[in-house]
Formats: sequence, structure tokens, C-alpha cells
Amino acid sequence: MRELTFTAAAREALTEEMARDASIFVVGEGIGPRGGNFTTTQGLYELYGPMRLRDTPISERGFVGMCTGAAMAGARPVVDFMFVDFILDAMGELINQTAKMQYMSSGRIQMPIVLRGCIGIGKSAATHHSGSYYSIFANVPGLRVVVPTTPYDAKGLFKTAIRSDDPVIFLEHKLLLNNKGPVPEEEYLIPFGQANVARVGKDVTVVALAAMVPQALSAADELANEGVAVEVIDPRTVSPLDTDTILQSVHKTGRLLIVDETFMPCGIGAEIAAQVSDRGFDDLDAPIKRLNGAFAPTPYSPSLEAALVPDAQSIAQAIRDLLAE
Amino acid sequence: MAYEIVMPRLGWTMEEGIFVEWLKKDGDAVQVGDLLCAVEGDKAINEIESFESGILRIPPDAPPPGAKVKVGTLLGYILAVGEQLPMGKTKIAALNVQHATSEIQSPLTTADQATKRPADHPTISPRARRIAAELGVQWQAITGSGRTGRIVERDVRAAAAMQMQTEPRSELRVSPLARRRAEELGVDLRTLTEAGKRIEVADVEAAAKQNLTEPALSLPKGLKDLSGLQGIPLTNVRRVIAERMATSAHTAAAVTLTTEADATEFVRLRQAIVADLKDADVPAPSYNDLLTKLVAVALREHPTLNASLDDDQIIQHAAVHIGMAVDTERGLLVPVVHDVQAKSVQQIAAESARLIEQVRTNKIAADDLRGGTFTITNLGMYEIDAFTPIINLPQCAILGVGRIVAKQVVIDEDAETVAVRKMMALSLTFDHRIVDGAPAARFLQRIKRFVEHPFGWLTR
Amino acid sequence: MELSSEQLLSLYRVMLIIRRSEEQLARSYAQGLIHGACHTYVGEEAVATGVCAHLRSSDMVFSTHRGHGHALAKGVHPRALIAELFGRETGVSHGRGGSMHLFAPEVGMMGTSGIVGPCILQAAGAAYAFKLKGTDNVGVAFFGDGASNNGAFHEGLNMAAAWDLPAVFVCENNLYATEIAYASVTRNPEVATKAAAYGMPGVAVDGNDVLAVYQAAGEAITRARAGKGPTLIECKTYRTRSHAEGMRDAGYRTVEEIEAWKQRDPITMFRKKLLEDEEAGEAELQAIETEVQTTVVESAQFAQNSPYPDGATATANVFSESTKT
Repeated sequence: MRELTFTAAAREALTEEMARDASIFVVGEGIGPRGGNFTTTQGLYELYGPMRLRDTPISERGFVGMCTGAAMAGARPVVDFMFVDFILDAMGELINQTAKMQYMSSGRIQMPIVLRGCIGIGKSAATHHSGSYYSIFANVPGLRVVVPTTPYDAKGLFKTAIRSDDPVIFLEHKLLLNNKGPVPEEEYLIPFGQANVARVGKDVTVVALAAMVPQALSAADELANEGVAVEVIDPRTVSPLDTDTILQSVHKTGRLLIVDETFMPCGIGAEIAAQVSDRGFDDLDAPIKRLNGAFAPTPYSPSLEAALVPDAQSIAQAIRDLLAE
Repeated sequence: MAYEIVMPRLGWTMEEGIFVEWLKKDGDAVQVGDLLCAVEGDKAINEIESFESGILRIPPDAPPPGAKVKVGTLLGYILAVGEQLPMGKTKIAALNVQHATSEIQSPLTTADQATKRPADHPTISPRARRIAAELGVQWQAITGSGRTGRIVERDVRAAAAMQMQTEPRSELRVSPLARRRAEELGVDLRTLTEAGKRIEVADVEAAAKQNLTEPALSLPKGLKDLSGLQGIPLTNVRRVIAERMATSAHTAAAVTLTTEADATEFVRLRQAIVADLKDADVPAPSYNDLLTKLVAVALREHPTLNASLDDDQIIQHAAVHIGMAVDTERGLLVPVVHDVQAKSVQQIAAESARLIEQVRTNKIAADDLRGGTFTITNLGMYEIDAFTPIINLPQCAILGVGRIVAKQVVIDEDAETVAVRKMMALSLTFDHRIVDGAPAARFLQRIKRFVEHPFGWLTR
Repeated sequence: MELSSEQLLSLYRVMLIIRRSEEQLARSYAQGLIHGACHTYVGEEAVATGVCAHLRSSDMVFSTHRGHGHALAKGVHPRALIAELFGRETGVSHGRGGSMHLFAPEVGMMGTSGIVGPCILQAAGAAYAFKLKGTDNVGVAFFGDGASNNGAFHEGLNMAAAWDLPAVFVCENNLYATEIAYASVTRNPEVATKAAAYGMPGVAVDGNDVLAVYQAAGEAITRARAGKGPTLIECKTYRTRSHAEGMRDAGYRTVEEIEAWKQRDPITMFRKKLLEDEEAGEAELQAIETEVQTTVVESAQFAQNSPYPDGATATANVFSESTKT
């Protein structure tokens, strides 16, 4: 099968969907002739022109509110934030308006809007360009939150996001953007709420998201040499969250480690741990463990940055500790 | 002083790029701001300006135009007039752009560890407690191996194994009536045995009465006879199979059609392919691979069978994804060959070989177990003829393949001639909710024709 | 723009429906029939009436917390308004919204809002969708003087002007943002002049003169439909009741000021003009007054007889069907 980068796969999804549906338009800073800071819209301006590839002023609140209105009037906007940190300027619009519109209108108005941007710690982006925030978004009723890992997932989930009538936050980890992987030529969609079992194992379950998935997989390789079979689950969407697949895995392994680059307090790991305790208590052979990025803003210097985030080594150690519980 | 020209980083995500060409020649004089060379990053071709003035020197082993090179790779030098190429630097290598990772104590967040509990107060994990109950193990006496002295699953299983080794096996002897009564009253027969005695209805009823008064946490009696009746916990795969099979049996309106096809030509075809590939380094197609291709062609002609039921609508699939039932140590698994319609027999053979290997070694990816639109199950190797396979919901139908066996067959009724032909039994179970009997029968008839006359599908 | 007698009487009738409905709501509030907030529009009726007289149901109105008048003028029946404030299933938002979340997309009423500002962005967004789809519809935002000090005003007007969007921004300048005098929180209290900063026309009109509003709105809407871009209309008006029912209406404005504005009551002034210009006779006007009164009383009765929504439906429509799992 042919291989594409994460960004190219997501871009192919956007290109195909824009050809299919003329009500889709993209807004963002530098997404027009420039093709997007991360080449998310490269080549599309030439195809679809300024009305559908709209370069905006630096008015994050403004264009989120505007696209909410456009979605209310039957268009299907895609807001490209470049760095999703910039969405914080639009939180009022996003949470009070976009997310609540379907409910407030008792389902008569739909909100088909995709809000995308790159997330994650890496490449010395420092603290205004390194946030992920998915736990915050997942706490909001009305928002769907997608965190793909592979190019295959990026394309299939982007298509589902675009066709969804709900607002979808589509988060692209900056360390994954250039990763290549197989992407079929023919059309496919990946439904929300379906975790990917990235590796099958019987001894311990590791749940990881985005850039933590490849790290967890290398940790699993390392532990395979020690005779430990690690199962790695990538939920792919944080809202909805596929708790069933995690529970099935814990039923098999009895041990759960949640690896999350973002903060521990009130994070997605806490949510997964609580749900597994609720529904899978009798399957647990050890306390549920979490390994999180440090509870701090993101520093610039590579040595500080690396110290902040779990990697294959720290994950492997956390798994060993969990097995000793 | 020699100034190094390196492959520049053109954006955060760039790790390597293409060195396109030099815009100056080796030995040219260069001024600050002159364009030196063109390189291609993630987005576009960029022309690189010189930060220095001097003479451009391109070492002989510098990357040639068109080469893909890592960020930081040395491309050339700018030297002062009369300056020599730096000694010992003729080997072009990527500069180390990786930063040393910190040796400092990691500040990663993990929750505080639970503290160790006193030994006279053993704790047990919820899972270990559940398994102890399932296996009838008295866990209070076990020494836990968990970090805090907690009793965990492995401790319980070890204790159960010890019990089985040290205590003699004995068969339970139970009267049929007693067994039925025990089920009705919810009495565990293992709790009733006295050595050598056959369990009668009266024993069961007495135990039931006692159960009402006995505290729930009391240990089962007669633990020593546990081995005879030990329950095998459902594995995850078994549990899924159980659920799927039961759902299919309860919800699908399953009807099975059977027929017999003359597979003589089919067998000959496969033998020819196998012989042809004898020295090739590719897997020879199995009968299943050939059937997979053949069925895909038939499904494209009969799309009503390449369908599934989703709530209240029937979805006909354009692509044909065929699942193959594979018997593994973990139980029945059904890896899927996707897009069979677009694949050659050789591709199918390679893919099915990979899938079977991965499924048997427990390395199969989840996506390889998903998305089937039709399933083939083959029990021919066990000398089975026709059978009634269970539909793999939400698919519409499943083809059961029986053994290929030589039989005496009437060739010409009028001339009363018979011949020995290789016959194959075929069973098609379909969901009558999705498709009616006649179209399903036409589909099976098509498969039969294809088995008998392989050119019919080979040419498609 | 010349108006027929029929059109003039229609304006009178709409203003009266708003006034009588608001008076009914004020009474019901005192009786404890309204469960939450109730911001009345008494004194400002000419604005909604004069603007909405130009709108089709496919044009979209985005409104504020003081939005009963906009909903009624856009075509919501008083029954649905009153039932909503009574928290009933028959309310315009099926009891989900109350005063500040009135949704009737079927007539182009795209919501009142509890947050000041977003309506400006959403009207611009609807206008973007209309332009994208090539229709001649317009998006209209109603907002108060307070919103003109909010970032959404700047971002929304800037983008709407930059892209010639078919939007009309109607500022109801009633001199007070909640209970803060507008002139005390801006150095330039002439809202219409702010349009110049965005390169769009700004018009100030007497918001208590329904014909003046009608005239200005007509020009702005014609301009928008013709693809010539947005207009800011400042309607100078006044609310003669407190910010919200049940609130003390003192300490920030004087009784004399209120009395002076009551002398300029838009309905009384318009009634007098209709008689003076001989567009209608006393009997004709009285017939309208009786009919409106009957409608409003019947509507309150209807609301009071309507059932409360079923508690089991409280989580309906958080998400669309498209991503349910």
C-alpha cells in the first residue's frame, strides 16, 4: 500500500471532501495561497479560491464566532488554527456558542464545524505553541474531540469529522505530522469512539494517545525482550471515548497504565481510571497507574523540554513498576 | 576561517530535505547575500543566501544535486582567499542536531505509591479475589507477591496449581436426577462430595437447606475434589466468540443451502499453479485463496449477498472484504482480506499467508480483523462434507467449504457412463432478513459453476 | 420608501404585539410564572419592527439577552414566547432556553443569547454562508451599546467589511450597558461613527421612530442583498422598564430621564402620526388593539395550560445523530 505523511493524509481527506461538498470552506491564518503553516491546505487555494480558503485577520474569537454563524446557516466550516493554543482566545465562543447551539435550538440547528490545529510538546515550540487541551475539550458536552496517531487514522477520522454534524476538535500532534504510514487509495471513514488496539498483549494494558503511542510501542518492544506482552490501546477519540475496548483489555491483563503527555489533575487519565474502576473493578489485579507530563508550562530548552514528557524509557519503567504491584 | 554551509532547517517539522543544486560553482567568489544553492524542504524549494563573503569550495564527497540529506549535513565551505579546505573534514556527515537529553531527575507526574501494609493484614486485588472465588482457593492463607504484600492473580493461580498437584484427582459421581436438582437449587456439587460416595438427590436438597443458613463467606466444603470439575475461565476471545455466535443464532434468519461441485478442474488448476511456482519465492495459493478470488467475482455479480444489515437498512458494499475463519490457540478468529476485487490470486495468497501467520502468532492488527463483508470457512481438512456455518453478523452470508473427495459420478445419463471425479461439498448460510432464497441459491449455483469451470472467473 | 396603509398598520400591529406581550410577561413575572430572567423590550419596539419588516424567513436574525421583540418581529407567535418563559414544552425552545435562548430557525430567528457580543460574529458568519452559497439573504445582528465595547464588535465588523459580507449590524443604543452609563465607559459614545474605523457606512437614527428605522434598515438591507457589504445602524432608544424584571431600577438613572423618554413612546407617537396623516381611523386602530390584546391573553392562557417538558429528555440534542456511538 502507498505511504503518506500524517499531514498529507489529512490534507487528502480535506481535498476529497471539498470536492464532494461545496458548502465546506476553510478559514485560518495563512491557509490561502500560502497553503498553511503545516501545509494543511497546500494546493487547495488554486482549486477553490478565496471564498473557500479564507485567510483571516488574527481574530481567533472572531472567526470561531463567525464560522459558528456560518454553520448555523448551512455551511460546513473548517477552522485551521495552525497551533491549537490559539483557540484559547475563542473559548467563550467555542463553549458557550458552538458547543451548545444544537442543544439550545433543541436539535433544529446543527453545528457541522471542524476546529483543527497542531498540539503537543516538541521541537522547542515553548509554552504558547505546545498545549494539547484535549481533556478540557472532552469536559464540554456538545464537542467531539479527535486525537489521531497514524496517517491512516488522520485521513479516516478527518473525513468523519467533516461529515459530522457536531463540532469536532481535530488535534494533530506536531511530532506525528511528518510520520509516514500506509493509507489506502480508496475511500474509508473511521467512526468516532472506536479505539485502535495498536499492539496485542496479555500481561499489561497501556492506554496512550497521539505522540505517546509510538513511545508506548517502543516500550512494549523493550519489554517483549523481558518476556512481558504489553497491549497498547490508542483511543483515537477522547470524546466519545471507547471505554469498552479498554475494559476488554483490562479484563484480559488485570493491569492498566495510562500514558498521557498532558497534565494529570482532572486529565483524561483520571477519567479512564475512574471508568475502569467503576466498571472493571473485579478485573483489576493492581492499582491503575498514570504516567503524565509534568504539571508545568512547557519550557523552551531541549533538555528541559525532554525532561517534561514521558518517553519509551520512562514508560517501560512505569510498566515494570506496575507489574511489581 | 572556514565557514560551513549546511542543509538548513526550513520549518519546525523538517528533518531532512533534498539538496537541489548549487547556484555558484566550486571556486566562485561569493558576497554576503548571494544565492548559494537551492534546497527543497517540506513545502517548497528555497534558495539559500550566503551569510559570509569568500570563496565557495565544494568538497568532492559533498551531496550531489537531487540527494536527500538530513538537516545539518555539511554541503560545502566558504573560505578566505588562499585558505585550504579544512583538514580531516573531508568526510561529509550530518552535524549532530540532536540535543543531549537531560540527565536530571525526571519531573514526570505519577501518583504517589500506596504504602506497604502490615503483614498480619493481607490485602488482595479485586481480580485476585474474583479468581480465588472462581477456583475455590482460600486466599487468606496466601502470601502476596505484590509490592505492598498484596495478593495478586498470579499468587492465587499458583496456590490453585499447588492444590491440584498435592491432592488426588477424583471423579465426581452424581446421579442424573441429583445433577438436575442441583442446577435447579443452585447447589455447587463440588461442595457435596464425600470420598467414594455417589451424590443423590437427598444430598443436594440437604445442602440447599444448609446453604440458606450458612454465612455467604464460608469456604466451600470438600475443596480437595476441586480438580475434577474445575471451571475453565472464559478467555477474552472465547467470550467474544460466545457473544457473537449467540447473537447471530438469535437474530439472523439463517437458512443453509448445500450443493456439491465437481472440483476436478479446480484441483487441476491449483496443481498447475503450485507446480509453476515450485521455485518461486512466493507462497502458492491455497484452495481457500482460489475460493476467495472466485467468491469475490461471484459477489460482484450478486451484490445482494455482499451486504450487511445496519439497524433498519441494508447496506450493499461496493468493495469485497472476505473473512477467513482460522482456528488458533486462542480460538476461532476471522482475519479479513480487504478489497479482494482489486487483488490478484497471487496477492491474495501472499496476504492470507501473512494474516494466518499473524493471527496464529497473536500479532494480528485490529484492522485486519475488521470490516469483512463475507466469510469463508473451510472444514475440508477434517473430512467434513456439508455443514451449517453460523453467519458472522452483520454480514449477510457465509460459505462453508467441505472436503474434496473422489466419487463415482454419472457423466451421461443416457449413455449410462460414469467417471471418477473430485467432488467438493459447499454450504451457504444466508440471512433471510437481507436476501431471499432464490437469489441466494443463484449465487451458490454461480459458485458451483465457477468451481467446475475455473476459466469463468479466472478471466474476470 | 413609500409605505401603503396596510404596511403602516402592520408596523403598528407588530409594535403593539411586542408591547402587550412584554406587559403580559412583566405581570406573569410578578405572579411567579416565569422561572428565570426576563429582560423586557418596552420602549424599543420600533427598532425590531422597523428592521424585521424588510426580512424574509430565510434571512437570519441573531439577537441579545433583550430579544423578545426581535423574536416576535421575526415571526415567533406570542404563545411560543410566553410558553418558553413559563418553561413549557410548547415554548419556542421547548423549555430549554427561557428568555435568553429563544430559537426559531424555521422563521430565521437564530437565537437570543446570554452572552453579549457573539451575535455580531454569528450574523457575519451567516452572511459568509449566504455569500458562499450565492443567495441574496442577509444576516442581521441586534445588540446593545454595551456590545460595541466588546472585542466581538471589532472583530466581526472588521471581517464583515473586509469581505463585503451581506450583514446588517443594528445597535440599539439605550444609553446603559446593564446599569453602566455607556458614556462613562467609552470616550466616543456615538456608535455609528465607529463604522468608519472598519470602512463601512454607519448611520444613526431615532430608534423610537419606526419609520426612520424602517428607512435606514431598508437601505442597508438592499445594499447587503446587492453584494455591496455591511452597514452599521445605530438606533438611539431607551428601555423604560428596569434592566430585568424584579430588579431595582434606581441609582444609575433619574426618574426625570425615564419620564422624558416615556413622552417619546414609539407606539404612542406612531399612533398619533397614523391618525394625523389619515392613514387609519380611530376605529381601525382600536380593532387592531383589541385583536392584539386578545391574542396575547389567549397566548398566556395557552402557556399556562401547557405541560412542562419530560425530565427524561433533558439530555436530548447534546450531539447530533451523526456521531452517536
